[in-house]
Amino acid sequence: MTQPELTKATPGQAALTISDLTVSFGAGRAVDGVSLSVAPGEIVAIVGESGSGKSMTAMAAMGLLPPTAKWSGDITVGGTSLRGLSQAQLRKLRGSRIAMVFQEPMTALNPSFTIGWQVAEAVRVHDRSVSRSDALAKAAELLSLAGIPDPQRRLGQYPHELSGGLRQRVMIAIAIACDPAVLIADEATTALDVTVQAEILDLLREIRDQRGTAICVITHNMGVVADSADRVIVMHDGKIVEQAPVEDLFHRPAEEYTRTLLASVPRMEPHPEKAAPQTGGENPVLAVADLTVDFGSRVGGALRAVDNVSFTLHAGEILGLVGESGSGKSTVGRCVMGLLRPTSGSVRLLGEELPAGRGTVGRGRRLRRLRQRCGIVFQDPGSSLDPRMTIEECVAEPLVIARSGNGAERAARVAELLESVRLDPAVRTRYPHELSGGQRQRISIARALALRPELLVADEPTSALDVSVQATVLDLLLDLQAELGFACLFITHDLAVVSFLAHRVAVMQSGKMVETGERDQVLFAPADDYTRRLVAAAPVPDPVEQRQRRAERLTLPSAGLEQGAAS
Amino acid sequence: MTATAPVRATPSRGLYRRVAGQLVRNPAAMISLGVLVAVIVFCFLGPFFYHTDQIHVNLAAKDLPPGTGHPLGTDDVGHDILGRLMFGGQTSLEIGVAAGVIATVIGMLWGAVAGYAGGWTDAVMMRVVDAGIAVPALFLLLVAATILTPTIPVLIVIIGVVSWLVPARLVRAEAVSLRTREYVQAMIAMGGGSRRAVFRHIIPNVVGTVVVNATFQVADAIMLVAYLSFLGLGVPLPRTDWGGILAGGLNYALDGYWWMIVPAGVAIVIVVCAFNFIGDGLRDAFEVRLRGR
Amino acid sequence: MAAEQLTVAVAGRRRRAAVPPLALFLIKRLLQSVAVLVLVSIIVFGLLHALPGGPARGILGQQATITQINAFNAAQGFDKPLIVQYLDYLGRLLHGNLGQSYKLNQSVGSLIAQRLPKTLVLGALSTVLALIIAVPLGVWQAVRRGRAADHAITAGAFIAYAMPSFFVALILIIIFSDTWDVLPPLAPQASTLGGILADPRALVMPVLAGTIATVAVFSRYVRSAVLDNLSEDYTRTARAKGVAEQRVISVHVLRNSLTPLITMVGYYVPVMFSGAIVIEAIFNYPGMGLLFWNAAQTSDYPTELGVVLVIGVATVVGSLLADLLQALADPRVRGGIR
Repeated sequence: MTQPELTKATPGQAALTISDLTVSFGAGRAVDGVSLSVAPGEIVAIVGESGSGKSMTAMAAMGLLPPTAKWSGDITVGGTSLRGLSQAQLRKLRGSRIAMVFQEPMTALNPSFTIGWQVAEAVRVHDRSVSRSDALAKAAELLSLAGIPDPQRRLGQYPHELSGGLRQRVMIAIAIACDPAVLIADEATTALDVTVQAEILDLLREIRDQRGTAICVITHNMGVVADSADRVIVMHDGKIVEQAPVEDLFHRPAEEYTRTLLASVPRMEPHPEKAAPQTGGENPVLAVADLTVDFGSRVGGALRAVDNVSFTLHAGEILGLVGESGSGKSTVGRCVMGLLRPTSGSVRLLGEELPAGRGTVGRGRRLRRLRQRCGIVFQDPGSSLDPRMTIEECVAEPLVIARSGNGAERAARVAELLESVRLDPAVRTRYPHELSGGQRQRISIARALALRPELLVADEPTSALDVSVQATVLDLLLDLQAELGFACLFITHDLAVVSFLAHRVAVMQSGKMVETGERDQVLFAPADDYTRRLVAAAPVPDPVEQRQRRAERLTLPSAGLEQGAAS
Repeated sequence: MTATAPVRATPSRGLYRRVAGQLVRNPAAMISLGVLVAVIVFCFLGPFFYHTDQIHVNLAAKDLPPGTGHPLGTDDVGHDILGRLMFGGQTSLEIGVAAGVIATVIGMLWGAVAGYAGGWTDAVMMRVVDAGIAVPALFLLLVAATILTPTIPVLIVIIGVVSWLVPARLVRAEAVSLRTREYVQAMIAMGGGSRRAVFRHIIPNVVGTVVVNATFQVADAIMLVAYLSFLGLGVPLPRTDWGGILAGGLNYALDGYWWMIVPAGVAIVIVVCAFNFIGDGLRDAFEVRLRGR
Repeated sequence: MAAEQLTVAVAGRRRRAAVPPLALFLIKRLLQSVAVLVLVSIIVFGLLHALPGGPARGILGQQATITQINAFNAAQGFDKPLIVQYLDYLGRLLHGNLGQSYKLNQSVGSLIAQRLPKTLVLGALSTVLALIIAVPLGVWQAVRRGRAADHAITAGAFIAYAMPSFFVALILIIIFSDTWDVLPPLAPQASTLGGILADPRALVMPVLAGTIATVAVFSRYVRSAVLDNLSEDYTRTARAKGVAEQRVISVHVLRNSLTPLITMVGYYVPVMFSGAIVIEAIFNYPGMGLLFWNAAQTSDYPTELGVVLVIGVATVVGSLLADLLQALADPRVRGGIR
C-alpha cells in the first residue's frame, strides 16, 4: 500500500475540512453526518450542549478517538486526508499540523516534570534534530509568545506552582510549538475565571492575527462565541443544526433550536422593575460582621480566605454574592450555614449568634434547630444527593431529622415538594443516578425547602448545568422565592445570572468585599475598579455589543498591579 | 414550563441487585463462586456420604499411597486423607469466615468513626492502628498462641483481633473522602447529627469497600490459621485444619510421600484463590456502579 | 497581566510561613512515628505481662512454688507497680537493652544483632528480584488491560498469592532437591554474611520462595497504579502533542507511578518479616525468623518480644522512609504553593 504523502496546504485551501463525519460507539452515534471547514486565519466556534458531539468531532480531527470508536467520512488537515493513515503517520500530524488545548488546565500538565521540559518535548517530538538546549530556548520563546511574563524563570517551575490561567497559556504555548495549521480549543476557557477567560481569548485572537492559524473554539458559552468567533456552527445530538457568520446567527437565527438556545442565555440587563422588597430594616435574616476565616495553621502559614466581610440580608430578599475563584464567596456561604467556624467576626443567623473561634463545627442542639430553619443547595448535582438513598428518602431527610409528622404526612409533603419543583412525584422511587443533572438540582431544591426555611443558601447551583437546563432551574428558583418569600444568598461567578435573579449584589475579591449595593447600580454603574473590570470582562451574547465592550475593556487600567502586589 | 420532567421508564434497581447483575457477567468470579459452593458442600456434606474415621488412630493402614479404598492415600497415623480434607476443611472455613467477618465489622466501625470524626480522635485512633500494623499479624498470633491455649473460639477471636487493622485503615480513608461530600454537608446543614452521618450516610456508602475487603479478610484468615497450624500452634487435636494436615505431612513429604501435603495445599490455594477472585470481581462491580453515576 | 497578578496575590495572602512546607510535613510524620513506637512498646510490654503466672512461670517452670516465684519477682523487679515497670522497661530499651534470653545464654540484643542482617539479606534479595519482575509485568498488564494476557497473568498472580509460602517452599524442595538433585534443601549455614553470600546455590530456593508471593502482590499494585495514571488528563495532552504511546507510558506514566511504588515497598517491610519466619524454618536459615520460631516453641519470651519490638521499629522506620522518599519524589509536596 503506498504511503500517502503528508502534503503542505496550498494557499486558498481550507486548513481543516470535515466531510460527512460519523463517529459511532457500538449502536450509538456521537457524531452524525457532520460537514464543516475552517479556513486559515478564521476563528470558527462550535457551540452545543453536553452530548451534542462537538468534542468528539474535535477528537476525530486529532486522530484521538478511543479505540472502541468507529468513524466514517473524511477529515482533511492542511491538505492531508486522515483516512488510511497509519498510527505513526497520524502521530506525525498530531501536534505539528493540528493541535489542541483542553478544558482542565489543572490536570492537563504532567505534575512531575518542569514546564520547560514539557514545552521542549513538544518541540523535540516532531524534530529530533533540535538539541535539548535549543529546545529549551525555543520553549522560553514560546512561553513569552503566549503572554507569560518572566519566561526564563517559568522553565524551571512545576505546573502546580502556576495558576490556572498561566497553565492554560502554557498549554497554548505547547500547542503552537510547531506552528500548526489548525488549533482547536476545547472548552479551553470554561474552567477559568471570567477575567482570565477574556485574556485567553485575546491571546487566541493574537495568534490568529500573527500566524494565520485556523482556530476552532468549542464551547457551550454563547458569550464566548460572541466574543471570539467569525463563524458559528451550532450542533445538537451529533448533527449540525445551523452554520452562519456570527452576526447573522445572533441577530437572525434561522433554526428553532438556535433560537431556543439563545433565549435561554441569561443576559446582563438592567431590570429597574425588579426592585428589592420593602423591608423593615430590623431583624435581618442574616447579619454578618467583620467575618474573617483563616485556613491552615500558624506554623505552616495561614491562608486568609475571608477578610473582614460584613453584610446583611433581609427577609424576602435575594442577595447575589459574586466573585471569581479564590474570592472566598463559597467560604462565606459555609460560614453562614454554620458548616464552617470563622476565625473571628460574628454571624447572626435569624437573630442568633453562631459560635466562632477555633474548633470543629458546632453540633449543639440549638445550632441544629437553627439549621432546620435554613436550606442549602450545592453546586455539583453528582454529589449533592446520597447515591444510596431513593429520591423519597433524600427529600424526606430534613423532615426525619426534625421529627416532623408521621410517615403518611411525610410522604404527602414529599409529593407536594416534588410537584412544586415541577417533577412528577413518581420520581420518588428512583435513585439519583437515574436522573439528569437538572432533575437532581431540582430535587436538591425540594429538599432544601422541605421545612419551609426562612433562608436559602445557593452555592453555584446552576454552574454545572447546560444553558437551557440552567434557565429552567433559575426560573424555578425565582418563582419559588416569589411564592414562599424566603431570603436567599445566591453565590455565583456568573454576572448574567445575578442580573436575572438578585435584588442586591455584593462583589468579593481575594477574601474582601469590594462593593455592595442595589443590583442595577453595582452591575451597570460600578464604583469599584475591580467590579468595573469584572463587569467589562463578562462576555455578552451579542457580537456587535461585545466588540464594543472589548474595546472599552482594553482601555481600563490594567489588572490592579498595585492591588495584587500589595496584599 | 413543562409540568413534569421525563423520567426513565425502567424500574429502578437497588444497589445490591445492580452489583449482582454486574458480578454475574464476570466469568472468573462466577466460576470462583461455584467452586466455593462446591468446596463448602464437599467439606460439610461430604462426610455424610464418605465415612472415614478421623479420630482414632489406625496404624495398620498408615502411609498408604492413593489407591483403592483411599483415593488420596492415608497419613502417618492411618487417617484417610480425602476424609481428612473434608474434616480439616470444616475448621479452616469456620475459622476463616468467622474471623474474617469479625475483623471486617470491627475495622469498619473503627474506621468510619475515626474518618468522620477527624481531628484528634482520628489521629489517636489511627496511631493505634499504625502500631498494630507495625507488628505483623503472624508474630502477634504466635506470641498469643504461646500465652493462651488455642481452642477454636480463641483462634477466631485472636485472628479477628489482629486482622481488623487493615479494614480500619481502608474504611477510614473512604470516610474521610465521604465526609466532604456534599450530601453529608447538606445533612449537617439541615440539622443532622454525627450519629446519623456515620450510620445513614458513611457506612452505607463504604459498603462497597467493606464487602470487597471482607472477602480478602476471609482468605487471609484461612491462610493465617494454616500458617499457625503449620508452625504447630494452631488448631488443637483431635480437630485439624488444612495447615495442620500439611504440618503433619512435612517430614514425610520430603521422602516421597507427596500425597500427605499436596491435596491440603491445593485445597488452601483453591479456596483462597476463589475468595480473591470473588473479591476482585466485587470490586469491579462496585466500581462500575460508581462510574455509571 | 491579571493572571500573573493572581499568582502573586495568592502568594502574598499567605502570611510569611514560619517553616517551609516540606520540613513541616517531615516533623509531623516524625512525631506520628514516635507516637506509634511508644504504642508498640506498650503493646509489647503488655504482652510480656499478659502471661498467666507471669514470666516467672516461664523460667521456673510449672513446679515452682509461690515463694520461689515471689523471690524471682522481687529479684527481677516484677513486684513494682506497672507504670514504674514500664518506665524501667522503656529506659532499658532506649539503652539498647532488650533483656536476656531465657533459654539461650545470651542477651537478646546480641542475638538479634547476629541474626537480623541475615534476614535482611534474604528479604532484600527477594524484594529486589520481585521488583525487577513485577514492575514490567504490572505495566504490561495495565497496557493490555482486559485482554487475554492480562487475565492470564492476573489469574497466575492470584494463584501465586494464594499459595502459603510453606507450601511453595515444600514444592520447590520436592522438585529441586528430591526429584532433580540440583539445589540443596538447606539454606547456607555460615555464620557470617560473607559466608552466606559465598554459597549462592543454597540461596536460590529460599529467595525464590519469598519472591513468588511478593511478585504477585507487587504486580497487582503496579498494575492498578499504572491504570490510575493512564486515565489522567496529562496522558491525553502528551498524545495530543504527538508523543508516541510507548514514550507516554515509559516516561510520563511511569514517572508518576513511582511514588505509589515507593510507598508499596516501604509498607511491605512487615510482610517480608512474616514470610521470613516460615521460610527460615523450612530451610533452616539462621536468621531472625528462625530465632523467633525457636523462641516461640521454647517459650523464650524475652527473645520473642525482643524480635517483635525490632520488627515494630523496622516497620515504622520503613514507612517513614517511604513517606519521605515519596515526598521528595513528588514536586507538589516538595515545595511551592500547595
